[in-house]
Amino acid sequence: MLGRLVLARILDLALVLFGVSVIVFLMIRMIPGDAVAIMLGANAEVTPEAMAELRGRLGLDRPLVEQYLVWAGSALQGDLGSSVWTGRPVADEILLHLWPTLELTVLSLAIGAGLAVPVGCLMAQLRGRGADVAMRVGAIAGLTIPSFWLGIVMILLLAKLAPGFASLGYVPFSTDPIGNLQRMVLPTIALALPILANLSRLVRTAMLDALGQDYIRTARAKGAPERLVVYRHALRNALIPFVTSVGILTGYLLGGAIVVEQVFAIPGLGRLILGAIAERNYPLVQATILVVTLGFVLVNFMVDLLYGLIDPRVRG
Amino acid sequence: MGLKKLRTTMLAGGMSVLATGAVAQTLELATDLSPAGLDPHIATAFATHQVTTGLLYEGLTGVDQDLSIVPVLAESWSVSPDGLTYTFKLREGVTFHDGSAMDAEDVVASIERVQSQDIASPLASRVSAVESATAVDPRTVELKLKEPSAPLLSSLTSIAIVPSEAKADKEALQKAPVGTGPFRFQEWQPNGYLLLAGNEDYWQEGVPKVDALKFNFVPESATRQVGLVNGQYQMLPHLDAATALQLQGQPGVKLEETLDLAYILVGMNASKPPFDDPKVREAVNYAINRDDIVQAALFGAGVPAGPLSPALKQWALDVSEYPCYEHDPAKARALLEEAGVQMPVKVTMNVLPRQDIRDVAQVVQAQLNDAGFAVELNNQEQGQFVQDWRNSNFDMFASLNAGSVDPDEYFYRAFRTDGSTNVFKYSNPELDALLDKGRSTQDQAARKEIYDQVQRTLACSGPAAHIAYSRLATATRDEVQGYDILATRSLGTLADTSVGR
Amino acid sequence: MKTLRQHPLLAFALAFVALQVFVAVGAEWIAPYGPLEQDIVARLKGPSAAHPLGTDQLGRDVLSRILHGYRTSLAACVVAVALALLAGGTIGLLAAYRRGWFERVSMRLMDVLFAFPVMLLAIGIIAVLGPHTTSAAVAIAVVYTPIFARLLRGPALVICESEYVTGARAVGASDTRILFRHVLPNLASVILVQTSLLLSTAILVEASLSFLGLGTQPPTPSLGLMLSEGRNFLLLSPWSAVFAGFAILFLSFGFNLLGDTLRDTLDPRLRGQE
Repeated sequence: MLGRLVLARILDLALVLFGVSVIVFLMIRMIPGDAVAIMLGANAEVTPEAMAELRGRLGLDRPLVEQYLVWAGSALQGDLGSSVWTGRPVADEILLHLWPTLELTVLSLAIGAGLAVPVGCLMAQLRGRGADVAMRVGAIAGLTIPSFWLGIVMILLLAKLAPGFASLGYVPFSTDPIGNLQRMVLPTIALALPILANLSRLVRTAMLDALGQDYIRTARAKGAPERLVVYRHALRNALIPFVTSVGILTGYLLGGAIVVEQVFAIPGLGRLILGAIAERNYPLVQATILVVTLGFVLVNFMVDLLYGLIDPRVRG
Repeated sequence: MGLKKLRTTMLAGGMSVLATGAVAQTLELATDLSPAGLDPHIATAFATHQVTTGLLYEGLTGVDQDLSIVPVLAESWSVSPDGLTYTFKLREGVTFHDGSAMDAEDVVASIERVQSQDIASPLASRVSAVESATAVDPRTVELKLKEPSAPLLSSLTSIAIVPSEAKADKEALQKAPVGTGPFRFQEWQPNGYLLLAGNEDYWQEGVPKVDALKFNFVPESATRQVGLVNGQYQMLPHLDAATALQLQGQPGVKLEETLDLAYILVGMNASKPPFDDPKVREAVNYAINRDDIVQAALFGAGVPAGPLSPALKQWALDVSEYPCYEHDPAKARALLEEAGVQMPVKVTMNVLPRQDIRDVAQVVQAQLNDAGFAVELNNQEQGQFVQDWRNSNFDMFASLNAGSVDPDEYFYRAFRTDGSTNVFKYSNPELDALLDKGRSTQDQAARKEIYDQVQRTLACSGPAAHIAYSRLATATRDEVQGYDILATRSLGTLADTSVGR
Repeated sequence: MKTLRQHPLLAFALAFVALQVFVAVGAEWIAPYGPLEQDIVARLKGPSAAHPLGTDQLGRDVLSRILHGYRTSLAACVVAVALALLAGGTIGLLAAYRRGWFERVSMRLMDVLFAFPVMLLAIGIIAVLGPHTTSAAVAIAVVYTPIFARLLRGPALVICESEYVTGARAVGASDTRILFRHVLPNLASVILVQTSLLLSTAILVEASLSFLGLGTQPPTPSLGLMLSEGRNFLLLSPWSAVFAGFAILFLSFGFNLLGDTLRDTLDPRLRGQE
C-alpha cells in the first residue's frame, strides 16, 4: 500500500517537473533584451552578422519546439549545456555555486529549528501571562523582519563594534574553517530568525494542544514528572506540523538566500541566477532555475513521504 | 590548520600585528561587476576591461596618466610621410604567461584576430583602417593602411596582444587568459573572486610589487564600503561621487581622484518628433542647469560637460564657449514655440540602471518639466536598456558612456551618418565632412581646428546633451602605496602598487 | 465590540493596520512635503524639526516619502493578493465543487506553479515583464494564486461534501446559488485569515523585489525602493534606509498579527496550521 502511494507520488512528481521545465523554458525566451547585445557591452559596436552568428551558436534561430526538445533531451541525459560566456559546463557552474547556498540554508535551518524547540516549549509554559503575549508579538516581528534589511543593519553595527571582524564574502570550509564560520555568522542569523519565529510558534501550539489531551493528562495523573511528560508525548505530536513546515521553509530559505547572498557577497545560487539573468545567459538561467526547483520539489516529496511515515492516518 | 593559514586569516581580518616578510602580499579589491569572460577581443564590457587592460594584457601602445600615447609592447615606431605605413619595433625579452616569447607573428595574429569575421570582435572597427599587417622580422611589424588614420596609435591601445595560437579559438582565452601583462591569471570563481598572481617574468624590472591581486565581486555598495572601512578590502576602484563622498574621512581610508573620461549624457532620437527638430534639442540644452545637476546628483564632484572631457587638455573647448549652456528656461520655451511643438512636450526618457544616473535623470526630469516638457522616466533593467539603445528605440535616454582618448574615436562612430554607435540616427552632412577630414589630417594644429568646429556644432543642437564629467575616485586603505588613478579606468598602475605597513 | 474587548491583541492589530491604511490613503494630506520635492541643500540630513525623519540623497523629505511609499506598497500588494484570491479562489472552489477532470487539470497546473520557490518564480516573471510596480504586483499575484487554490480547495471540499450542500443540490438549486449562498460564506473565516497572512508576506516579497531593483522604480516612492536607494548612503546618512526598513516591518507585522489573532478568534481549530 505504501509502495503504491510512493509510485503515485513519483508519477505526480514527473508531471510537475515536466510542467516546470516548460515554464522555465518559455519564461527565459520571453525575456526582453538580447543576449548578444549584453555580452558585447554598451559601448561596443555590433554588426548584424556578429549577432546572427552568436544567435546561431546558441540555437536561438531554430523553431521553439525544436529548441525545447533539444534542451530537454540533453538535460535528461545529464547535459545541461554550457555557459554562454565562459564556455564552462553549466553543471560545473551550478556545483560551484551550490555549496555556499547549501551551507547557508542548512545552517540556518538547523539553528532555527534547533532553537525553536526550547523556545517553543518555553512559550507554551509561559502561556497566558504577559510574557506569552510578548513572545508571540516577538515571534511575529521575527517572522516579518526583512532579512536583507536586518543583514545590512548587522553589517553596519558590526563594522562599528568589531571593525576587525571579516564578515563578508565566502571561503570554503575545507580551506579555512574558522574564516568560513566567521563569515557565516551574520547571514545565518538573518535567515534563521524568521525560521525560529515560525517554528517556535508551531512548537508552542502543538505543545498546548498536546498538554490539553487526555493521554497527557493521564500520564500526569500517573505522577510522571512534568518535564518528561511534556517532552516525550507532546514533542512527538509537534513533529507533524514541524516536518510539514520544513518543506515550505526550504522554499522561503531559497528565496531569502537570494537577497542575503547579495548583501553579504556570498557566491551562491542566488547570485548565480541574478547574474545570469542580467547577462542573458540562457542555458545557465534555465538550468539553475530547473535544478533549484527540482531540489525544492524533491525536498517536499521527501517531506510528503516522511509525513506518511510519522502520521499513520495519511496512509489510510 | 598551519601557522601560515592562521596568519593569513588574521591578516585578512585586518590585524596586521603579525606582519613578516614571508607572508605573500595580496591586494584585496572589491568591485560590483563580475566579468562575463576574459578574452580581451570578445568581452569588452567594462567589467572585463577593468581586470584585463594593463593587468593581464598589453597592447603595442598604451595611455599614461596625462592621456598621452606611450610605447608599451612596441618600443618605438615610425610613420611613412604619406601616413599609410606604420613600422613598429617590438620590445625585447617579452614573454607570454605560458612562457613562450612574444614576437611579430603574435602581433600580426592579434590584429587579424580582431579583424576576423569569425571572432566577431566588437573592437573590429578600431583596426578597420588596417589593410595588412606583416611580420618583417621577429621584432618588426609593418601595418599598411587603406587611408591615413590619425587616431591609429590611440586605437591600438585597446588591441591586446595575445599568443598567435589563440587566433581561431573563441573559448580558451575567455576562461584562461594568456597575455604579457604584469599579472597572470590564477583562479576565477564566478560571482566570488578573480585571483591574479604577479608575473615573475614581467619585462619591466621590479614590477609588480605585490604578489597577487584578488578582485572580490561584491554587488552591494554598502557592503563594499563597510568592507573597506573594516579593512577586509584594501581598494574600491572607480567609485561614483556619492560613494566617494561617504568614504571621505573614514579612518584608515584615502581617496585617489581624477576627472573622468566617461561622460553622463542625455541622448535624443533625431529620427522622430520632437527631437528631429534642432530647435527642440537646443531647448533641452537651455532647460538643463548643469551646475545644479553636478551639485545635486554628483554631490558637487564633477564639472559640466561639453562634448569632450576637460581631461583631454589638448582638445577640449571650455564650456563657456557654448551659448546654450546658460540656464534659461524662458529661452527654452521660446525655442519650443518657434519649433511649433505642442507644449508640454511629452517624451519618455530611458534610464541606465546606475544610482548616479538615476539621480541625474530625476533632476533632469524636474528641470525639463519646468521648461515646457513633460518627461516620464523609464527606469530599465540593464539588458533592456542596452537593447533599446542599440535599436534606437527611445525618445531620450540618460546614460554614462566611456570616453576615448582621441576625439575621432568618439565623434566618428557616435555622430557620423551611419556611424556604428550613432543610435541617435543623427545625420548632418557638414559634420560628416568635418569628421572625414579630421580622420585623414595628420597635422595636430589643423586637426585641433577641425575638432573645435565639431564640438561647437554638437554642443547645442547635436543629438546628445552632454551633462557632466564626474570626478572619478578610487578609495584605498592607507597602507596601499604607489597607485595612480587613470581616467581611462584601466587599473594598469596596480603593477607599481605596494602594500606597506 | 465585545469580541474586541475579549481579545485585546486582535483589537490592537486591527487598530495598527487601520492606522497604516489610513496614512497610506491620506498620504497626500498628511505628508508635510510632496514626495518628489527636492531640496538639494538639505540632503542626507538626520531628523530635525523641519524633517522629522530626515531627508534622502536628493533632499526629499523621508517622512513624506514613507507615507506615499505606504500607499504604493500597500496598493501593489492589495491588488496582487486580491487578484490571487480571485483567481486561486475560483480555481480551488470550482475544483472542489466540480471535481472530475477540471479538478485534475487545474490542480496539476497549480502544483506546477507551486513547485517553484516563491522568489525564484517572481524574479523570473519580472525578468519577462520588465521591472515595474505593476510587474511586481503581477508576479506576486501569479505566485500566490496556487497558494490560495490549494488553501481553499481543502475546506471547500469538506463543505461541498456536507449534507447541507448535497441537499441543496438535490432540490435543484443552481450552481451559482449554491456556491455563493452556501459554500462561500462558510469559507469566509479561512479567506479572511489567509488573506491577511499572505498580505503580510506579499509586503516582504514586494520589498525584496524592489530591493533587488526589480519592483517599483524611481522617482515613485515605495518602501522597498527607499531602502534600496538609501542603502547606497548608509555610512553617511542611514536614516532613509533605516526608517523605510521599519515601515516595511510595521506593515508586514500588522497584517501578520491581524491574521494570527483573527485565526485564534474565528476558529481556534485552525491554530497551528500554516
